Amino acid sequence: MSIVGTDRPRIDADDKLRGATRYLGDLKPHGLLHGRLVLAMDAHATINRVIKDAALAIPGVVAVLTAEDLPTAMEGPMRQFEPLARGEIVFQGQPVALVLAETEAAAEDGVEAVIVETTSHAAVLDLEAAIKPDSPLARIRQIGGEMEGSAAMHVEAAGEGEGAPAPAAAAAEPVSANAKGPHRQQHGDATAALAGSEAVVKGTFRTSWVHQTYMEPQGALAIPEVDGSVTIHSSTQGAFYVRGMVAKLYGVDVSTVRVVGAPLGGAFGGKFNLIDPLVMGAALAVGRPVKLQLTRSEDFASGMPASACILELELGGTKATGLTAFRSRILLDQGAYGDWAMDGAVPVMIGGPYRWSAWDSLSYGVTTNRFGTGAYRGPGGPQVVFALEQLVDELANKLGVDPLELRLKSAAVEGDTGVDGDPWAPVAGREVIERTMQHPLYKKRGSLPANEGIGVAAGVWMGARFPSAATCRVDQDGGITVVTGAVDMSGTNTSFAAIAADTFGVPIESVRISYADTATAPHAPPSGGSGVTYSVGQSIRLAVEDAKEQLLDFASDQMDVAASDLEVVDGMVRPVGSPDRGKSVAHFAEQVTGFVATAPPIEGRGRFAPGNPSPSVACHVAHVRIDPATGEVETLDYAVIQDVGKALNPGLVRGQLQGGAVQSIGWALYEELQHDEYGQLLTGSFMQYAVPRADRVPNVDVDYIEVPSAIGPFGAKGIAEAAVMAGTGAMANAVAAAVGSRIRELPMTSPRVWRAANSR
Amino acid sequence: MSDQDTALHRVTLTVNGTSRTLDIEPRTLLVHALRNELSLTGTKIGCDTSQCGACTVLIDGRSFKSCTVLAVQADGTSVTTIEGVGSGRELAAVQEAFKQHHGLQCGYCTPGMVLATVELLNQNANPDEAAIRHGLAGNVCRCTGYSGIVDSVKAAAAAGVGK
Repeated sequence: MSIVGTDRPRIDADDKLRGATRYLGDLKPHGLLHGRLVLAMDAHATINRVIKDAALAIPGVVAVLTAEDLPTAMEGPMRQFEPLARGEIVFQGQPVALVLAETEAAAEDGVEAVIVETTSHAAVLDLEAAIKPDSPLARIRQIGGEMEGSAAMHVEAAGEGEGAPAPAAAAAEPVSANAKGPHRQQHGDATAALAGSEAVVKGTFRTSWVHQTYMEPQGALAIPEVDGSVTIHSSTQGAFYVRGMVAKLYGVDVSTVRVVGAPLGGAFGGKFNLIDPLVMGAALAVGRPVKLQLTRSEDFASGMPASACILELELGGTKATGLTAFRSRILLDQGAYGDWAMDGAVPVMIGGPYRWSAWDSLSYGVTTNRFGTGAYRGPGGPQVVFALEQLVDELANKLGVDPLELRLKSAAVEGDTGVDGDPWAPVAGREVIERTMQHPLYKKRGSLPANEGIGVAAGVWMGARFPSAATCRVDQDGGITVVTGAVDMSGTNTSFAAIAADTFGVPIESVRISYADTATAPHAPPSGGSGVTYSVGQSIRLAVEDAKEQLLDFASDQMDVAASDLEVVDGMVRPVGSPDRGKSVAHFAEQVTGFVATAPPIEGRGRFAPGNPSPSVACHVAHVRIDPATGEVETLDYAVIQDVGKALNPGLVRGQLQGGAVQSIGWALYEELQHDEYGQLLTGSFMQYAVPRADRVPNVDVDYIEVPSAIGPFGAKGIAEAAVMAGTGAMANAVAAAVGSRIRELPMTSPRVWRAANSR
Repeated sequence: MSDQDTALHRVTLTVNGTSRTLDIEPRTLLVHALRNELSLTGTKIGCDTSQCGACTVLIDGRSFKSCTVLAVQADGTSVTTIEGVGSGRELAAVQEAFKQHHGLQCGYCTPGMVLATVELLNQNANPDEAAIRHGLAGNVCRCTGYSGIVDSVKAAAAAGVGK
């Protein structure tokens, strides 16, 4: 009996298919007040006055809250510490006031009646201009304090810490206070190494702001309790994270905040403490339950999307040994708030899954009057891949070698020095590239009709290493209950059930995965960074093993057989080799749970800190056709080849890889949060912001390989971020092959492709 | 708001086989009536421009985005929501196909996707892949990349859902 490794339906499939799953928007406690936000119209302005009278006169409107009305205890430079604008508006769509009313309709009417009087300032939008010493500032009022907690999570997951501070002499470029950095990674003499390379290529690349576009908009509900504490129900990836951050903001003890994670209607990195500070503050201010869920348009205007970048990159290589050296300068638009900005990580990430002999890689985070930066699946990845993987292809072309051959020669292996200076963890880049060379879609690239192209690219996600804990209880009926504080992200609970069933030796129907909130759960990391299954899965395995040991100790006494000679198979405890002498797990469970039981109940505990991440490498292969008359790109075929360590549930793994691939097609062809010169959002709904639809994408062929991790449960690696990394590069290389010239700006829309096709 | 705007209107409709009478403001959207008045929260709201399809329901057997329909317009009709597709805790064949072929992940687009599939197969019991993709183009899924959904619709067709 092995459940790990077999394709099984999700354990939450029935509820979701019946419409029975209760998402945040489906909760409605007694006395609920509905919140709606007044969003800023200016991209940059000083708030002179907020006139609330007309709104308060509307029947049903209970309060209109501005920043002064929230009982905050501190300030910080993060969006999460500034839930409503404090005096200065720093992007169009920023929440300025929160209207609370007895009905959603009254709250909406109230929003229309609030008047925000402002004095406008120049909007800072152009990255190159913004970092010049004489640039106007995107933030007139500079807020002190450290960034904390949030960005560090993905920065660490992506590479290693903040980029090393640049030596004073190297930071020659004078910059304005809009620029954060430079973050710089240097090794060897990049200039000399490039000069000594057989071929050198370079280019400047631009990427767009992209929204996570989870189908369930952001939302949270805060309920004040009789003892003065607050319970927050939240569509969040990190319940413990939210608890810590809102407690800090409002100066209360973490024990007075209880966070219950609601089932996630998609998140992709974007659901971290955006709404929670608002409802928490409002509930404290008015003493009633407050719910706020954004509309789609509000989520586009006021969410935390992924940063645009300008990337300058130059790299060199030789035919015999592959890639040699690179030099890069990246401007990362962190918007008005850099909560999850990856400016410290992109100088590392731009090295890709490759070994280099020398590099000089730097970046600036740039404050502008656009949104604030959120995390989005493989943060920083689609941007750096778009630049790196196009140039690797161009270099291969210049050297006259096969593009995958060049990548294979250059793939980093365990122990090679990474761009962050640390040795690479075990990594299967070579295996993935070799497998990709054999893929039928890649082999097809030499025999295509006109206007078609096949492109390939590689990407890596370094993986996360969050610590976690879990418990496992043996129930009266012989089933086991695993308790975790990790919210189910993309089917993690289904994988946990397989891990628990196989580890204990019970049928999967006897396993219950119980999500617990921050008041009762063992500590859990946020569900993100491809770190959940990797860490929590292992904690669960350890907790189940512990419970099983306790059971076997007890059974050993009862059966008069040494514990080491007992096994549990299909819910039966039996001496090894004597299956007919078995007794059910329930038989023993009854004896440790009944009123007259004399032995203690069975409760296993698992704790785990991975120590090291396990990088996952993926190659994407894209086949496109362009219409030279219109510039339209059609994606005809697509394949993902990825090392997943161990596919705990092949169906779920395939789904992750297919979903990641299609999101990267969105990055490549369609998605862009565009602003006009005044900082007004032009693409604020599904009317203008295009996401891939079923008729615009092909089936995605998945061909994963399993090079086991020594750390993750059953050899599993975190897979979801790596699944999105290579797509922008593969699509760009496919489009270049079809068009005959390069497009260096995302997304590759019809006008851009048409210009490239017709400028030859 | 004038008194005329907020005066309650009486609407009678059949929802999942049961006759329901509601007194509601004329501006109430069908999706809000279903969710807030009838507590049928399986119908989801994913956008505000009628483009994501999460709120898809059947009205007299045809699929509609219930955020585009005023509840008063549905007066006298028969509405099927996701809660009316299976029978109690039993999944209908179309739902079972989605379950077995990984046609869902986060589940938020799922009710709308299932009802769009019912409509698609009612129109064409044996659609090819292109017809399936075209038929579901009005429903956005961000998790699956659509491959699992297409497989599910094929399996539902093979199980005779549209026949």
